[in-house]
Amino acid sequence: MDTATHMLRTGRRGALFEFNMAFQDLRNSVGRLGLAWSLAWHDVVSRYRGSILGPFWITLSMGLMVVGIGVVYSTLFGITLGKFLPLVALGIVFFGTISGIITEGCDTFVSAASMLSQTSLPMFTFVWRTVLRNLIYLAHHMLIVVAVLVFYGYWRDTNLAGALIGLVFLVANAAWISMLVAIASARFRDIPQVVTSVMQFTIFVTPVFWPAGRLQGAKHVVLDFNPFFHMLEAVRAPLMGVPIAPHTYSLLAMMAVVGWSLVFGVFALIRRRIVHYL
Amino acid sequence: MKPALKKAALAAGPLKPPAPPLGKAPPVSIACRDLSLRFPVYGVDAKSLKKRLAAVTVGGRLGSHAGVTDVTALSHVTFELNAGDRLGLIGHNGSGKTTLLRALSGAYEPDDGEVEVQGRIAALLDLSLGIDPSASGFDNIRLRGRIAGLSTREIEKRLEEIAAFTGLGPFLAMPVKTYSAGMQARLAFAAATAVEADVLLMDEWIAVGDAEFQQLAHTRLLNLVERAGILVLASHDHDLLRLYCNKVMRLEGGVASPVTDIRKLDELLAA
Repeated sequence: MDTATHMLRTGRRGALFEFNMAFQDLRNSVGRLGLAWSLAWHDVVSRYRGSILGPFWITLSMGLMVVGIGVVYSTLFGITLGKFLPLVALGIVFFGTISGIITEGCDTFVSAASMLSQTSLPMFTFVWRTVLRNLIYLAHHMLIVVAVLVFYGYWRDTNLAGALIGLVFLVANAAWISMLVAIASARFRDIPQVVTSVMQFTIFVTPVFWPAGRLQGAKHVVLDFNPFFHMLEAVRAPLMGVPIAPHTYSLLAMMAVVGWSLVFGVFALIRRRIVHYL
Repeated sequence: MKPALKKAALAAGPLKPPAPPLGKAPPVSIACRDLSLRFPVYGVDAKSLKKRLAAVTVGGRLGSHAGVTDVTALSHVTFELNAGDRLGLIGHNGSGKTTLLRALSGAYEPDDGEVEVQGRIAALLDLSLGIDPSASGFDNIRLRGRIAGLSTREIEKRLEEIAAFTGLGPFLAMPVKTYSAGMQARLAFAAATAVEADVLLMDEWIAVGDAEFQQLAHTRLLNLVERAGILVLASHDHDLLRLYCNKVMRLEGGVASPVTDIRKLDELLAA
């Protein structure tokens, strides 16, 4: 169903036309961001209907993980809890958001099959739905972030503006990966398994549970070429009042531009096929 | 359609022509020009089946290229509809009726040719669209309304009317999964038909609920059809098509007959 009063759908008319149509899809989805929000909100509410804590259940389990890992690993690494716990807390919360946006991306189009096959809703709407849903979860987890930063006194040095800019970079990058994964999962049903494994692997090679400095020589391949490390660091460092490596921003900006160009190109070329994959 | 209902519908007389468009209302129209639609079917090797299927009257035509099997669901369909046209679609199962409706709704992109629709489209193809069994009746009405393109404010304005129409009363506050099938159908119907549309697409005339509700639903649907400029209704019930449509088109293996007057339905069927 659509409130649009004019609709024109045509066969392929060359790559330029396909890009134009993809752009129109994007524009329509931005005009109906409210719908994406409603769907995302509904997802959150329906997933936790009948539970008392709701999404705070994930917050609670994250909190437990933070305390557990914080206490054990701080002893293992010989770092004081005051230095280590905030690092782990912010790491788990924001890596959770990155990983949530990406892994739930697998379901973006698949779960919207019935809507996509009988309405002219823009496909981007469902990408935003996945992203917004995870941002709603993040808003709940901010409880952990605030608690830790206040408890250990980091809030005095927190660079809130820097953290917000970092969050924009984080979302901009996670969103294109999410969309790429969404398209791929629609066509090949093995992709969700691959994505889950990759994200599981990533959490261990990214300094989520361990301080980046512990890796011999900070200029390590695992850090420099790990996009997730930069996405995480862009938000975590400013929150903890730590200066951020300048190349983190340029790298993230470059990654977002290249990534979105790639995804948009793929989307433009196979957009009309996606509904048939489902 | 139940005989009793049909009698009631007949008593109500044929559909009135739609009201003339108000003021500057944009013209309502549908145009399909040389529309072709092929479904790629992935991961199925239909080569061995192809020869056998070719002789069957059901379904589209199968072809294949580069390992992907193609089903030609529509080929070179051309027609035009304007305000006041109520088109009935007839044809075997798999002749392309639903595919055509989905192409008109904008969900399926044509492979060749084009579809142009002026006016707000409402596709009542699947009533259960967007229904979440664990959410309450009210929440489902809201969600469905949002999907249909209504704003939150518009929905709140209509909520009372929709709720009253379902006749579910206090049950609307309960999760839909606690409803009986009939109650679910009432809710879905009420929510799906709470739209203002210029172009109404329907896959079979919708009849839901018990006898009493069917009457109400029927009246509501008729009102919706009367307000809409164009109706496209796919159905196997020829009497029903005679009642509600003034034009008819036959699809066979994705190939469409010319749009003809409903009074020539018998000739079309004989052809």
